[in-house]
Amino acid sequence: MTDLVLAGVILFIVCLSIAKIIREKRKGVKCIGCPFAGCSKNDCSCDSLVQLK
Amino acid sequence: MESAIRNDTMIGAISRKDYNGYVTNLAQANINAEYIIKEIQTNDIDMKDFLFTLGCYEGETITVISILAENFVIAVKDARYSIDIDLAKTIII
Amino acid sequence: MKVALAGNPNSGKTTLFNAITGKIEHVGNWAGVTIEKKEGDIKKALNVTGVTMTAVDLPGAYSMSPFTSEESVTSEFVKNENPDVIINIVDATNLSRSLFFTTQLLELDIPVVVALNKSDLNKKKKTDIQVSQLSEILGCPVIETVSTSMSGNGLEKLISTVVEVKGQEQKAPFDAKNMDLSNKESVAASDKKRYEFIKEIIARVENKQIHSNRQTKQDAADRIIAHKWLGIPIFAAVMWVVFSISQTHLGPLLADVFVGWIDSFYGWVQGMLGVGASPVLSAILLDGIIGGVGAVVGFLPLIMVLFFLLALLEDCGYMARVAVVMDRFFKRVGLSGKSIIPMIIGTGCAIPGVMATRTIKNERQRRTTAMLTPFMPCGAKLPVIALFAGLFFNDAAWVGTLMYFIGIAIIILGALIVVRITGEKNKRSFFIMELPEYRFPSIKRATVSMLSRAKAFIIKASTIILLCNAIVQIMQTFNWQFQVVAEGAENTSILANIATPFAFLLIPLGFGVWQLAAAAITGFIAKENVVGTLAVVYSITNFIDTEELVLVSGGSDVAGIMGLTSVAALSYLIFNLFTPPCFAAIGAMNAEMENKKWLFGGVAFQFGMGYVASFFTYQIGTLITTGELGSGFLPGVILVTVMIGYVVTLVRKGDKIAEAKMAEAKMALSA
Repeated sequence: MTDLVLAGVILFIVCLSIAKIIREKRKGVKCIGCPFAGCSKNDCSCDSLVQLK
Repeated sequence: MESAIRNDTMIGAISRKDYNGYVTNLAQANINAEYIIKEIQTNDIDMKDFLFTLGCYEGETITVISILAENFVIAVKDARYSIDIDLAKTIII
Repeated sequence: MKVALAGNPNSGKTTLFNAITGKIEHVGNWAGVTIEKKEGDIKKALNVTGVTMTAVDLPGAYSMSPFTSEESVTSEFVKNENPDVIINIVDATNLSRSLFFTTQLLELDIPVVVALNKSDLNKKKKTDIQVSQLSEILGCPVIETVSTSMSGNGLEKLISTVVEVKGQEQKAPFDAKNMDLSNKESVAASDKKRYEFIKEIIARVENKQIHSNRQTKQDAADRIIAHKWLGIPIFAAVMWVVFSISQTHLGPLLADVFVGWIDSFYGWVQGMLGVGASPVLSAILLDGIIGGVGAVVGFLPLIMVLFFLLALLEDCGYMARVAVVMDRFFKRVGLSGKSIIPMIIGTGCAIPGVMATRTIKNERQRRTTAMLTPFMPCGAKLPVIALFAGLFFNDAAWVGTLMYFIGIAIIILGALIVVRITGEKNKRSFFIMELPEYRFPSIKRATVSMLSRAKAFIIKASTIILLCNAIVQIMQTFNWQFQVVAEGAENTSILANIATPFAFLLIPLGFGVWQLAAAAITGFIAKENVVGTLAVVYSITNFIDTEELVLVSGGSDVAGIMGLTSVAALSYLIFNLFTPPCFAAIGAMNAEMENKKWLFGGVAFQFGMGYVASFFTYQIGTLITTGELGSGFLPGVILVTVMIGYVVTLVRKGDKIAEAKMAEAKMALSA
């Protein structure tokens, strides 16, 4: 029983992160987590070491 | 002037002034003195146009603020720019 | 309704854009930070009319002539997209230059509102501009703005004026009708007249008490900061201070606390699972997901301090001076000053750095810069640096500083090799860069920057890094028959099997074990993975508070667990930092180089460079510390010789091309 719940939790976490990656990719981000998702279609807007959003 | 062939004698000229101290281009200019630009002598039209939009063209005043590393800090209009010695040589004063 | 923001570089356009849209785009205190246009809706609070207003932030331009690509974007946009109103941001401290562009914008037949920005700075300089008179002469409203301040900044008035002028006719104060665009001389003559016209305006509206060509304290500061010889030690000292605060002092202090929380979370989950749970599954959750991600996220406080300091550094205008100091070296190796900006951007993330190479006109310079930019340690490499500095070098600040300087050295060496291979060593290019005024860095901007990067770090850790760690954990738990590998037989796992062949190649570098090879491989997905994978393969969840770990693992410290000497650790760090970047950055390189030969050459060069640098670090370091050569010296030296030999042949070939070109040019000259 514990194992089933555990497997469920792991699966849930993995699915969550995959879903997040897909969402980020849809926004057109080149690098996952980039704070400039969707600001500009064919460019990263985090032009420098200071990335803001 | 990206396609220019290096002119070794010119690059090799270490002293910035001619023997008689006659100043002809910005690379030989005295620091802190105001000069009037006579001509921008370059084949690179883009660069000339760019300098123009900065306000760097014939008849304008230009001042060398300091020489840093191998760059000249110039004051044109109300801004400071850092230009290199090759570019300074094209500005005839 | 569409509003375009146009103005000279470094006039505060992006700051104004952020202020009116509520977006927080990157702002840098130098020219040319914005490369592509950006859009955002204007804040409701400023926009009382309720009409949706979209603001478009354009790259800075000095004029409408397409000198550099960022300028052509501007002129094209203004001409093609027909905005309803143009907000022309004019730098009040440099009216005479800014108005050139303003008069050109006024000729487009689109209503213009001039935002006289940085008007606060003018008061400090005792410069007085008669706004109403300026507005009258230009024939458009002029609003004083201070986009950096929160209140009394004139933005509301600016937006309401924009709404008012929409649809109005725009008269041009300067008549350029008789200018013949096809005739170069005519244009030049007209432009000169335009400047004359502006001079007249300036004489009427501006009252300057301090002439801008006088020496100021800032100029005196520049003479030291950007000094021929002092410039580099100062840069080193600045970086050392940054790392000293973030890596040696404040960072670990905060990280200790933070890692404590992660550890208690780990313990809590462990307690929840109890002893009954399947060891395989609980290992995936505990060691793979929580441990691996925790190890990466544990560096967050340390990295945040670093981000904050770097943001301050950029905001104050120092980076433009670094560019001036570095220009000399870059020019010797056939790069221009423009190559420095992508590299400084690359310290944040290599991808926008590589993309910023687009502004470099010369193809070879652009490709070389795109190829070399990833050598600058980016944000994702910082946890790796922090890990090794912490574990093997007692959190010394010199480790991080050294990595930046090795990066710069490799870039210069790399550029030298490329310029010789392509046979273009005789070409030169001009360098011009605006030196922005120093300003006191904004704590608020740096804080916002730090928080946003922290958020990005967490998102990355909880997505890509998490998945990779889970996969690594599974791969090391099972063998190819999908049986759980027995304790002590870890070498039979899938992960070990895949990584072992690579590990052989790494023996001459001092770290030829499959665990370290696996971590280096996952690093290509994202560099933070190096930390995560190391945590997973060695079952270490806490890289920060290592004293505790020593107790847990019974006397043997982390360095012992990894089986690395300090020299080998440094070699491993160098290998991870200076081999090719993550795949996303390689993709960006591909896009900007537009040439497969260059791309493959570039990636091969990065591999070779990382390997050779790492080899010398390990072998020479070992020779010095122990008096003997490191393991695998002979095969290593053969491999390295072959690589260097190949590059030398290419350089020789390139030299011949250069000679041929030189001879051709001489012929042409004498003819």
